[in-house]
Amino acid sequence: MWFFILAELLVFGVFFLAYAFARMRNVELFNASQLELDKISGAINTVLLISSSYFVVRAVERIRQGYSRACAHWLLAAMVLGGAFLVNKMAEFIAKMGDGITMSTNTFYMFYLGLGFFHFMHVVLGMVILGAVTLKAWKGGYSASNHVGVETGGAYWHMVDLVWIILFPLIYVLH
Amino acid sequence: MMNTATFQWLTLLAMTAVAVGLSQTALGSNAILLPVLLTTLIKGRIVIDRVMALQGVIAPWRWVVLGWLVVVLGLIGYTFHAA
Repeated sequence: MWFFILAELLVFGVFFLAYAFARMRNVELFNASQLELDKISGAINTVLLISSSYFVVRAVERIRQGYSRACAHWLLAAMVLGGAFLVNKMAEFIAKMGDGITMSTNTFYMFYLGLGFFHFMHVVLGMVILGAVTLKAWKGGYSASNHVGVETGGAYWHMVDLVWIILFPLIYVLH
Repeated sequence: MMNTATFQWLTLLAMTAVAVGLSQTALGSNAILLPVLLTTLIKGRIVIDRVMALQGVIAPWRWVVLGWLVVVLGLIGYTFHAA
């Protein structure tokens, strides 16, 4: 799993730097387009993902103590916040599409929509992984001595959080 | 007494609020660049070392991920400063 996570981080890193270097040549365009973004929505999504990651940490704590059902509850809470992130992000995309904005609109929006959708799909995959782990935890499939699955699923979810922690200031905040 | 994970979570939220607050001020791009990148670096380190629990893990995992964070944020800082 760690090789997979590192490969994902490398890919996101390349995209982040592609955005940053592309911006160097189109500063006015990027700044003007960034002003049209909903910063509050981005901030809410940051709170949702950070909180979701925290819930996964609590889930790992509980399974280390042998509480499988409590672990499942925390994981379920993490998934609820992950779902809220997806709904909020989808609303953001729909609003932009409603304004007639596509990836072809300009270079900034190509990165905004492309990077956003790429990260969105990783959140979806993370939700699928957390869903499988939650189900197994609910059925008592993990214990204090055997919970590698919870930690591995959690590591992927934290990677998705870590990527957003950079994506948010890069796209929404820095100008 | 507050759980350590809870304290780290609240720290991450507070740093997010700082970054958003800075973006809402009338400060210029260069004025907010360093503080925003620094808060992002601290947030990233908390996630890597504490949330992902890589602190204390045998090398090279922690250093590879921390190195990724520093290189990416460093180059972002360079491009925004140079632009």
